[in-house]
Amino acid sequence: MGNCLTGHAADDLSLLHEEPDRVSERLGPPPPYQEAAPVYHLSPNQRRTVSQLTEEEQVKIAQRIGLIQHLPTGEYDGTKKARECVICMLDFQIGDALRYLPCMHTYHVKCIDDWLMRSFTCPSCMEPVDAALLSTYESR
Amino acid sequence: MATIAASRIKRELKEVKADAELIKDDVSVELMDNSYLALTGEIPGPKDTPYEGGTFHLKIIIPETYPFNPPQVSFTTKIWHPNISSVTGAICLDILKDQWAAAMTLRTVLLSVQALLSLPEPDDPQDAVVAQQYKENQDAYRRTARHWACAYAGAKSSSRELDEKVERITEMGFNESDARDALSSTDWDVGRAVEKLMS
Repeated sequence: MGNCLTGHAADDLSLLHEEPDRVSERLGPPPPYQEAAPVYHLSPNQRRTVSQLTEEEQVKIAQRIGLIQHLPTGEYDGTKKARECVICMLDFQIGDALRYLPCMHTYHVKCIDDWLMRSFTCPSCMEPVDAALLSTYESR
Repeated sequence: MATIAASRIKRELKEVKADAELIKDDVSVELMDNSYLALTGEIPGPKDTPYEGGTFHLKIIIPETYPFNPPQVSFTTKIWHPNISSVTGAICLDILKDQWAAAMTLRTVLLSVQALLSLPEPDDPQDAVVAQQYKENQDAYRRTARHWACAYAGAKSSSRELDEKVERITEMGFNESDARDALSSTDWDVGRAVEKLMS
């Protein structure tokens, strides 16, 4: 089981300012070949390899990856209130890569990205991430 | 991923054992082996329920993909409850299925299972026979659940009348647990229970 996102463009804030279709163009649908086939999760209970996905599902996953990449990231500097990633239950260490959800909950990038590929909700407050993303865009 | 599962369980176990609320409630968890992927849990039957006074044992299997997927929890103590199979002990609880979230813990799971004992949800049943009885004959449900808690979970003050009915059927040569199952699903009508056992 690998992280569904490894291999994709590293997180950077410039993605936030790009046109959405340019992002999905660059990320593209997941490649249909690959020797060690990564496993994708349409929901926490469904696991499939790429070859078992319909085209529609592949598009959905590509869009999901695109959306996840839009969420801001940062490095733990020891000044924030959140001190622990509730997914792996380990304390944040200075320099850890973090991702911030719109509801302000913070996790390790590798932990939260793996979860968001299964369910696009915050594991702490259950707020749907896409609804929150849309409302942040609207309020701008 | 397996390493997240094991290290999280290690940490959660420590927290559960130190949790004042769980200790006060006599809720506990133990490892089954050294893998951190199989545990046993113990919850007392909540007050003011037919399960009061009983101790219920759970089997908790942690998937390698934990906490991205929920633990598999089932009762190893036989129990009469609309959302728990009276045969296999399988539990129907949303947070153990599609409402699971990675921030939930063994503590959340144990407290939710305990809460389920206080508040059955007959419209989302795991055991159709129990759920139907719960909806149509609350009194029979209560007496049956109480009888099971006494027979299997060590609760005290069982009803003499129900015990005698089980005895009457075992005296005919049927096994006690089969007799209890048949009586439970026929609202304790000895005639219908025997008929069921003969068919």
